[in-house]
Amino acid sequence: MMSELVIQTRNLNKRYRGRSAVSNLNLEIAKGEIYGFLGPNGAGKTTTIRMLLGLIRPTEGSVQIFGKDLNKEKLNILRRVGSLVEYPSYYGHLTAVQNLETVRRILDVPRSRIDEVLDIVSLTKESKRAVKGYSLGMKQRLGIASALLGNPELLILDEPTNGLDPAGIQEIRELIREMPQRHGITVLVSSHLLGEIEQMASTVGIIREGEMVFQNTIQNLKDRASEGIRIVVSEPEEAIRVAMDQGFEGTMQQGMLQFPNLNDAQVALLVKRLVDSSHDVYRVEEKKKSLEDIFLQVIGEGGIS
Amino acid sequence: MMWGRVLSTDFIKIRGKGIWFLVFLGPIGLIAMQALNFGLRYDYLMEAYKEDVWGGLIVNIVIFIPMSLIMGITLLCSLMANVEHQTSSWKQLLALPVSRMTVFSAKFGLGVILLLVSCALLVLGTIALGLGLQLGTDIPYQDIVRFCFLPFIGTLPILALQLWLSLTYSNQAISVSMGITIAIASLFAAKYDEWVPMKWPNMALDGPHQIEAIVASLFVGFTVLLLGMAHFSRKDVA
Ligand SMILES: Nc1ncnc2c1ncn2[C@@H]1O[C@H](COP(=O)(O)OP(=O)(O)OP(=O)(O)O)[C@@H](O)[C@H]1O
Ligand SMILES: [Mg+2]
Repeated sequence: MMSELVIQTRNLNKRYRGRSAVSNLNLEIAKGEIYGFLGPNGAGKTTTIRMLLGLIRPTEGSVQIFGKDLNKEKLNILRRVGSLVEYPSYYGHLTAVQNLETVRRILDVPRSRIDEVLDIVSLTKESKRAVKGYSLGMKQRLGIASALLGNPELLILDEPTNGLDPAGIQEIRELIREMPQRHGITVLVSSHLLGEIEQMASTVGIIREGEMVFQNTIQNLKDRASEGIRIVVSEPEEAIRVAMDQGFEGTMQQGMLQFPNLNDAQVALLVKRLVDSSHDVYRVEEKKKSLEDIFLQVIGEGGIS
Repeated sequence: MMWGRVLSTDFIKIRGKGIWFLVFLGPIGLIAMQALNFGLRYDYLMEAYKEDVWGGLIVNIVIFIPMSLIMGITLLCSLMANVEHQTSSWKQLLALPVSRMTVFSAKFGLGVILLLVSCALLVLGTIALGLGLQLGTDIPYQDIVRFCFLPFIGTLPILALQLWLSLTYSNQAISVSMGITIAIASLFAAKYDEWVPMKWPNMALDGPHQIEAIVASLFVGFTVLLLGMAHFSRKDVA
C-alpha cells in the first residue's frame, strides 16, 4: 500500500546557536505526489529545503532522497533534483539564455533544452535581455526554468509563486499540477498560503515553529473541517442533558449546544426531542470550518484536536 | 570534464563585470608609469643605466610588480566572488550536481589564468616600451619573462587566502581590507625574515634562496587552497 518514498527525513534538526529552526522533522513524500509544504513565516520551510538540497548541514538527523543517503550520494541525488530556493538566483548582467547556459554546462544537457524550458515558462520573447531588467515574476519564471533544465525527477520549489501576478500564479500552478501526470515528476512545493497549495497538492505537511504538526492527504485535512451543528435554546444546561440522554454526543459552548457531524435525520430527531421536552429552539446552525480555518487552527494550536 | 565545464561557466559569468578591464589595467598601468618616468627623465636615466638600459627598465618595473599583483589579486577575487554573492547565486549553484571542491578550485583556476594573462601582457608591454624608448634590439627576453612571471608564483599563497576570504564572507570589505593590508605590508618586504610569505614574491625573482621561495610559495599556496576548499565544502550556504 505504501508507495515508494522519494524524500524521507528522519528526526531532522537544525539549530542556530542553540535556537531550534527545525526540530525532529519526519518528512515523507511519495513518488508522483505533489506535496504541499505549509507553514507561516519563519516556520522552518526554507531551512528544511536547504537541508534537503545539501546547502546546510542538519544538526541532527538524516535525509534520504530516492532511497539514498544525501550525505553519501549527494551529487547523484542532486543530478535528479531541480530546485528553486526562496527568492530567485540569477546573474543580473547576463541574459536568460546565458544564465541557463551556466547551469546547462554543469548539468551537461543538450543546448536545445534551454529553448524548451524558456518556452515552458513563457520567457522565450524576453530571453535575450539582461535579467536585471526583469520583473520579479519574470525572474521567478527564470528560476523555475533552471530548475526544470536537467529533466529532474524531483522538483523542490520554495514559494515558487512569490511575486507573481494572478495570471502568473495560475500559470505556474497549472505547470506544477501537470508535472506528475505528464512527466512523472514528484514535486515538493512550499507556501504559507493553504489556498494556494490546496489547488495543486495531493498531500500536505504543515510545519509550525520547526515542528511538523500535520502530515497527511489534503482530503484528510478537509475531512477534519469538522462540520457540526450548533443549536441555540432557552435553557442550554437542561437541554444538553436531554440530548445526552438521547445518545447525542454534544458539548456546551458559550451557551450554545454543539454537536459534531449530525446527519439530517439526527438533526430532526434532536430538535423534536428538545421541543418535546418543552425547550424553545431559537436557532439551528450548521457550522462549517473553511480549510483556512483549519490551517489557522493547526498552526495556532500546534495540532488538530 | 566537470572542472573544465565549471571553469567555462565562470568565464561566462565574469563578462561585463570589469574583471577583464582590471586584467588589462594592471600591466598597462605599470607600463604607462614607466613610460612617464623614462619620458620625463630620458637623458638622466639613459645615462644612469648606460651599462644595461634594458636591465634599467626592467628594474624600474619589477619593483612595483609584487604590490600590483597583490592589489590585483585582491580586487580580482572580490569581483569574482561578488558575481555569486550579489544575487546570492550560491544556493542555485551549489544545489547543482557539482562538488563544492570543483566550484572553489575552478575559481582558483580562473584567478590563475587571469593573472597569467596580466603577466603576459606585462611582458609584451615591457618589450613594446623598451623598443619605443629605443633601448636597442638586443632584447633580454629571458629576463623579462622571468621577472614578469616569477613574482606571480610568490603570490600564490596570497591568491589562495584572498579567494577564500572573498568567497566566504559576502561582505567584501573584509577581504579587500585584508588584501590592501598585505599589499602595503609587502612594500617593506626587504625588512622581513625569509619565512614571511610577503617576502616571497621578491625572493622568487632572484637571490640566493630563490628556489626555496618558489617551492615554499607553491607548497603554502596549495595548502591554503586545500584548507579553503575544505572549509568551503562544509559551510552552510545562505
Ligand atoms: N542562518 C540563520 N541563522 C540564524 N537563524 C536562522 C538562519 N536561517 C534561518 N533561521 C531561523 O530559522 C527559522 C526558520 O526560518 P525559515 O527561513 O526556514 O522559515 P520559512 O518557513 O522559510 O519562512 P518564510 O515563510 O518567511 O520564508 C526562523 O526563525 C529564522 O530566524
Ligand atoms: Mg522561506
